[in-house]
Amino acid sequence: MVGLTKPVKPTPTESPATGRALTEPAQTEAPTGSPDPGSTAATAALTEALAAEYAAIFAYGPIGVKLDDELAEAAREAEAAHRARRDALILAFAADGVDPPAAEASYALPFEVTGAADALRLAVLVEERVAAVWRAALAASDGTTRAEALDALVDAALRAAGWRAAAGAAPATVPFPGTV
Amino acid sequence: MFGVARVVFTMAVRYGPRLTRRAVLAAAGGVGVAGVLSGCSLFTPEEPALPPDPLEPLLASAHQLIARYQEAISAHPDLAPRLQPIQQAHEAHAEALQELIGRSPSPPGTGEAGSPPAPSPAAHPDDAAVLASLAELERAAAHQARLACLAAPAERTGLLGSITAARATHAEVLTWSD
Repeated sequence: MVGLTKPVKPTPTESPATGRALTEPAQTEAPTGSPDPGSTAATAALTEALAAEYAAIFAYGPIGVKLDDELAEAAREAEAAHRARRDALILAFAADGVDPPAAEASYALPFEVTGAADALRLAVLVEERVAAVWRAALAASDGTTRAEALDALVDAALRAAGWRAAAGAAPATVPFPGTV
Repeated sequence: MFGVARVVFTMAVRYGPRLTRRAVLAAAGGVGVAGVLSGCSLFTPEEPALPPDPLEPLLASAHQLIARYQEAISAHPDLAPRLQPIQQAHEAHAEALQELIGRSPSPPGTGEAGSPPAPSPAAHPDDAAVLASLAELERAAAHQARLACLAAPAERTGLLGSITAARATHAEVLTWSD
């Protein structure tokens, strides 16, 4: 994220993407929709979070190859952050004796990433999606789990702001991160 | 029917006060003055004051931030394009918090009485100093929102999480150079 803490020269921006399909595998949305037998609300929410982290890791592949220099570095850092969240989640599942859901082999991107502008737009979408699932996990958790969910929400919101700024969007912030 | 109602009414008038007084005396018995004083509430129709909502300090800080941004924008109009969206976010937060708290709005500025450090208007600080000062306020405000989120009942965590993240992103973008 460090690479994103400075606004980068505005690049041609596109109108904010409206598609919500994003990088979801087969199942979408519905925090409680995870058909995890015997799962608590927390497990369901964290399953959604893990799915979003998997998708984010996948998406930063095509994102990174379309970016240069400090933006490419920022993409690498973002991907590493999502890998760290993924690993922490998998450990948490294991600690609870729950089999963590596996990553999909592939994720459908909401649009083709043909250049830097697409890459930035996708990066914003990825982080907004991640922020949303972690926001949903807040209500289903407490204690350290809620604190971790909140940290993840904040981190995703910070990265989303960085990518918006890189895309030349103003303002780079949104009033209610995790609801966009 | 009519008669029954009248009987009930009369009984209430006749026995109500007596029963009440007896209750007070019973409550006071053995407890002394404290018991009598607490019994007074039986005569007064006023509700005891509700404890303040735990989100009141967060609402107050939203109002304080709005005021601080207003000051900054007035003193540094060149910063308005950068600061106005953030100020508007705090206004949206205040509105959402007010709705969650569900009480009549306290006038903006009343919250100023307590916690925050005085504005320290100094000698017309430059843009960078203003931005740094606002960023510092946002960091503290984000921390405040974070603690509120972690302590909140489930149904409030979403909004408080969003406010935490918003304040954190404000702090961040304020540190960006142009």
